[in-house]
Amino acid sequence: MLRKKQTKNNHNQISSNLVENIDKIKNDFSYQINNDFSFRMLTAKFNQKDICLCYYASLVNSDKIEQSIIKPLLEQDGESIANIVTVESVKVLTDCDEINQNVTSGKVILFMEDHSQAYSIDVSQFEHREVSQSENESVVRGPKEAFTESIHVNISLIRKRIRNQHLVSEVLHVGKRSKQDVQLLYIENIANDQLLENIRSRINAITADSVQNVELLEQYIEERPLSIFPTILYTERPDNACTYINRGHVVLLMESSAACLIVPINFWAFFHNIEDRYSRVMFSNFARAIRFLALFLTTMVSALYVALANFHTEMIPLDLLLAIASARDRVPFPLLLEVLLMEVAFELIREAGIRIPNPLGPTIGIVGALILGQAAVEANIISPIIVIISALSGLTSFVISDPSFNFTVRITRFIFIFAASLFGIYSLIICFVMWLMYAISLKSFGVPYFAPLAPSYQSNKNIYFRKPLRNEKWRPKYLLPKDMKMLKK
Amino acid sequence: MRINTKLTTYEICALTIIFIGIKLTDTTPTLLSNSTQNAFWYIPLISFIVMFPFFLITLYLLNKYKADHLVDLLQILLGKTLGKALAFFIFIFSFFLSAFDFRSYVNQIKLLYFDKSSITIIFALLIFISIFGAIRGIKVIGYTARVFFPLFQFSLVLLIILVYPSLVFERIYPIFGSGLSNVMYEGIFKGSFFSSFILLMMILPVARKPENFYKGTIMGLIISVLQIVFLFLIYATFFDYKSIERVPYPFHDVALYIDLGSFFTNIETFFMTFWLFAVFIRFILLLYLNTWLFGATFDIDNFELLILPMGFLIMVIGLIPDNIIVNEFVYRNHLLNLNTIFLFIVPVILLICHFFKRKKV
Repeated sequence: MLRKKQTKNNHNQISSNLVENIDKIKNDFSYQINNDFSFRMLTAKFNQKDICLCYYASLVNSDKIEQSIIKPLLEQDGESIANIVTVESVKVLTDCDEINQNVTSGKVILFMEDHSQAYSIDVSQFEHREVSQSENESVVRGPKEAFTESIHVNISLIRKRIRNQHLVSEVLHVGKRSKQDVQLLYIENIANDQLLENIRSRINAITADSVQNVELLEQYIEERPLSIFPTILYTERPDNACTYINRGHVVLLMESSAACLIVPINFWAFFHNIEDRYSRVMFSNFARAIRFLALFLTTMVSALYVALANFHTEMIPLDLLLAIASARDRVPFPLLLEVLLMEVAFELIREAGIRIPNPLGPTIGIVGALILGQAAVEANIISPIIVIISALSGLTSFVISDPSFNFTVRITRFIFIFAASLFGIYSLIICFVMWLMYAISLKSFGVPYFAPLAPSYQSNKNIYFRKPLRNEKWRPKYLLPKDMKMLKK
Repeated sequence: MRINTKLTTYEICALTIIFIGIKLTDTTPTLLSNSTQNAFWYIPLISFIVMFPFFLITLYLLNKYKADHLVDLLQILLGKTLGKALAFFIFIFSFFLSAFDFRSYVNQIKLLYFDKSSITIIFALLIFISIFGAIRGIKVIGYTARVFFPLFQFSLVLLIILVYPSLVFERIYPIFGSGLSNVMYEGIFKGSFFSSFILLMMILPVARKPENFYKGTIMGLIISVLQIVFLFLIYATFFDYKSIERVPYPFHDVALYIDLGSFFTNIETFFMTFWLFAVFIRFILLLYLNTWLFGATFDIDNFELLILPMGFLIMVIGLIPDNIIVNEFVYRNHLLNLNTIFLFIVPVILLICHFFKRKKV
């Protein structure tokens, strides 16, 4: 038993023999097949010992290796590696697991003869996109930068907006086979400790082989994977993330993800837009009122049409009723089928529109509009009123800017249509009450979904409409921040 | 994270107003105007003035003994067995009253909107939503009431504004209707309009602070009584005393009559949506409180598992009356009369026991 233990320990430790180390690392990284993995042997000038550099050629900046590691080692005198190598980050490693992790992260490992330690020198250079405009969350007024796929660039985008020494970026590892870093950003004298504990425990409980990016991480740490309501906010704008960090939320970033996750979140976060804060109070409240109307229209207008036209025809004014009746005179399908046909067709066009290659886009748009709009009406498959209603409910769904919540709204629309076809307004209101009570009973990382409306907490009351910025005094209490006041007098 | 998710004054007030104030939309005016003609509009006020001291007594005793809720108070004051027996009686009364209440509203929906549908299906849908909502828990019911409450008040205000030009205020004369003695008799014996208030006293543990509960319920009670009286006044001045006896559902009739300009002439479905929402919240709460009362009487901790069987039982009992007439004028009328006597006696018994306990100590 003792012998086995010893070999285990020895297996993980770095030996003083350079050849043994090189053999081991060649074995670990499949040097025979792996074209990427490179070696550089040299003899240091300062102590005349053999040195071996190991790295992935695709992940490192070769100029930096040449100028800041190899050149000083060959030409300079000094006492230790740390005094000769001019790269800004030099770490000492004692573990073989750490060595593997560091090489896959783009660092150079330096083995020296008769040294039972290795040095890890950071020369990583991951290729990534440059900082560009946000495609999915565009604003008219405000900064237009978006996150890119490099975590250092993302953190710098956040840090330049929050110049606070208490802004902490904590690292956690996920993935058993391929270890990725998850960075938690929060202001440590505002964010609640139990919330952080909750987030850490959920991330540490992930047992997947690899979690590549933040979109996958969201599905691992959320509470109810089968719910139609999202409980984590996904945004690709750094200014959005910074607003939430300042209130006491926590932001999750990963390498190779051009977006971040914000936890914990409530219903209003999906409904509010970052542009609300950049416009003046009356303008942004007007935009919010329009967005409310859009939310109501997109979920309810088709269902209301089905309910009223089928069950409560007395509510529709007489002239309009006659127009609807005459338009539907020659249509062979029942009303519900017409509505479903148009809604499904709209969803199909929408999904197709995302995947269409750019040169074909406008053509398909015209063809789709022609086929669905004009031809179907003239062939008496659908009535013209349905085209208007379906277009209204489809277009108003674009007002909801968050991509996850957009799906919620679309799914809800179909649920309401089916409910309204059963018993009219009666079953529609039943379904609406069920939907509302289900949403109200949700929690995101311990925070109720409809806070601060219900339950009510001390906050800026930024629910339906917002107050002028000068009057925003409090952080939201449902996050239990360590410091409630936003203004320092 | 330990956030306080309990209910505040506003939520409890909204719950009370929706719970009790929905009375202005059912057949109560018809029932009252049978004996008191056109003086029915201030009878709820008389009933309230008569019942209010008894409610205050119960609230005072709840506060004094720092009881968890109503059943706890009964057990403290009357001893375990007697308290449980009394709580069981209260439960039986309120259970049957709830079942006929359910039936009354199902009748309403059927008569107004779904004449040819089967009453079982409509009842089943109502029970379904009540069970679904009650399983979510009392806190979610409170939050939903809070979200919905402004909309409900807005619809009432809109109704009042739209009907105002058609009111004839001289119709409130003679003030005492068919005679002062009739009015007083009806006022005193129909105190069980507020009988559901005794169920509301089960909510005490869910309030953030007991003061929130007391303030919320008393404010809610007063506001809902004022609303009921005001709306009844509108019915009295809109329909005359002869018509009101023939109109089973004055709220919906008023909604049928009014119009929004010359284009929207039939907007009763608009008011129906808000009315339905309030009805659902009321019945969800009614089912939950009945089950809670049952669970507290028999010391059942996980009483939320009983919501489904209770709901089904209520549906079965509610389907017993054959039609509206039997339901309203036989079952509900007698039950309401009996319940009032019960509501008078229980606080008095509690007060007597309180004095005895004080003397002993």
